[in-house]
Amino acid sequence: MVVMALMRTVEQMAEGDTAEFAVASASELELVRRWCEKTGNTLVSTLMAEQDTGHVTVGRGRPRNPGSMIPADRMPGARLWLYTNFHCNLACDYCCVASSPKTDPRLLGIDTIQALVTEAADWGVRELYLTGGEPFLLPDIDVIVRACADRLPTTLLTNGMLFRGHGLRKLQAMPRQGFALQISVDSPTAEVHDSHRGAGSWERALAGIRVALDEGFTVRVAATISAHDDPALDELHALFDGLGIPRADQVIRPIAHQGVAEEGVAFTRESLIPEVTVTADGIYWHPVAALDENALVSRQILPLAPALDRVSELFTQQWSSATATTSMFACA
Amino acid sequence: MSKLVGAPLLIGAVAYTPNVVPIWEGIREYFDEPETAMDFVLFSNYGRLVDALQAGMIDIAWNTNLAYARAVLQTDGHVRPLAMRDTDATFSTVFVAAAGSGWSGPGDIATRRLVLGSADSAHAAILPLHYLREAGVDVDHLHIQRFNSDIGKHGDTGRSELDAIDAVLAGDADVAAIGITVWENIGRGDLMPGMLEPVWQTETYSHCMFTALDTLPESVYAPWVSKLLAMDWEVPAHRRILELEGLTRWVEPHLEGYNGLFAAIKEQGVDARW
Ligand code: SF4
Repeated sequence: MVVMALMRTVEQMAEGDTAEFAVASASELELVRRWCEKTGNTLVSTLMAEQDTGHVTVGRGRPRNPGSMIPADRMPGARLWLYTNFHCNLACDYCCVASSPKTDPRLLGIDTIQALVTEAADWGVRELYLTGGEPFLLPDIDVIVRACADRLPTTLLTNGMLFRGHGLRKLQAMPRQGFALQISVDSPTAEVHDSHRGAGSWERALAGIRVALDEGFTVRVAATISAHDDPALDELHALFDGLGIPRADQVIRPIAHQGVAEEGVAFTRESLIPEVTVTADGIYWHPVAALDENALVSRQILPLAPALDRVSELFTQQWSSATATTSMFACA
Repeated sequence: MSKLVGAPLLIGAVAYTPNVVPIWEGIREYFDEPETAMDFVLFSNYGRLVDALQAGMIDIAWNTNLAYARAVLQTDGHVRPLAMRDTDATFSTVFVAAAGSGWSGPGDIATRRLVLGSADSAHAAILPLHYLREAGVDVDHLHIQRFNSDIGKHGDTGRSELDAIDAVLAGDADVAAIGITVWENIGRGDLMPGMLEPVWQTETYSHCMFTALDTLPESVYAPWVSKLLAMDWEVPAHRRILELEGLTRWVEPHLEGYNGLFAAIKEQGVDARW
């Protein structure tokens, strides 16, 4: 009974200290949220291994500033997400931005990206994340990656299926330093992964991971877990371990209820620690909400700094207001 | 009178959680003006806090209801109650049972196995028995189990009440007496869906009280009390302290709310040294 555990532990903690609690269902997570609101404590983060079970971190009291509870690399503005494009060679059933081969590409374009990255670095952004859609569909993705990695540590999210022909040459032209690839693999065997992403996609993603590792890239793997599937976490970790990917580079997260996802964890702007996200359509609060009008910060993409300022300011206000509870949604 | 001219007012409190330090540091900062400057001393239990008040080591004690009653009884009434939390003026005890019991009222408690919190907790042990007796229950023949944890802290840690709830959930007892604060913190049962239901709730009574001796000059305590009453929930710096201390505003003493406790102390022969 998670509330009894909270009552026994959190009430006796010093202000600002945190403790982890296991939650066994989505409704228990909701109880933790409500208990924190009621008792003036803070739900610092939720890390759900699958939709229904996982761990929450609860902090005693309300922090005077978010920096006392949120790691520096997760503070608003520490990460900048760029949606390079929205079209994709796949059409996954849970895609949070509803990508598919038919989706309007909505390219950011190298010039805009260069301008964004320059501003971001000057503002104090520490890390860049490039995502889509499938970035490897862009003929100049290698140039984009270079422009980013020259300024800041950069991660590129890809389904890993296009590392042949042109795609392989583009990959080979990318830097090995200050750059990582994040490739999605949802299950230890093809069945579950293919059921969401399409037949043969699991095989090709694994082949892509091997190619990238052979080419000397840092590869992180990300699994998106559906509540309806057996998460088979041990087998998934064993698969990733077998590929030689360190545990710290194995990201496991639930499906977000956005885009074309019919199920998933629902977020509101207030419930997410912001990770500023730029798409061709505007600047958004978080990458899982890049189609969500409620998460739109600004239609205007450049200059970027005012939006970064605005998000930081809004977040600080939200954090210090009495009932805010926030969570980190680990996209990467 | 212990107050030296120009020296800060000295407040005593009991350290029942590590948060007592940030709470009192916040309060001290709030009062940091020539008229109201204060400092604090922390004690490990309420017995020593009341001793220190009587000995003149401190000017004001932040007392539980039992510690307030002790101070009144031990000084023959020569105390000056100063202020309390809004939540202290309307405290009560809730009797809870496993969901589905269908029990209601003191009559249904009389024949069940009752579990109480710490013997020195007015809300989880002393007053539940008093109000049951007042409601006509033969408390001398009640089946009672007690969790005497954290004795000396007058139930402040809440641990004994959680132990009592666990006993009910485990089926080792039928009804637990808990303070309204614990009941509120589990959303009156809503945050433990399908597990607990209320059987009966006592009338409201008074809980904690800032207590001085009646020798403390008004010129010394009055500015401090008016600044205390001026703390404002809408001011973020104040709200942090108010939230940690569990109130929305400070209020004037509600002394009639202690009548039940004074009666209970007599009926039950409560230990004078807790
Ligand atoms: S989840 Fe990724 S791979 Fe799948 S459709 Fe969306 S962008 Fe493409």
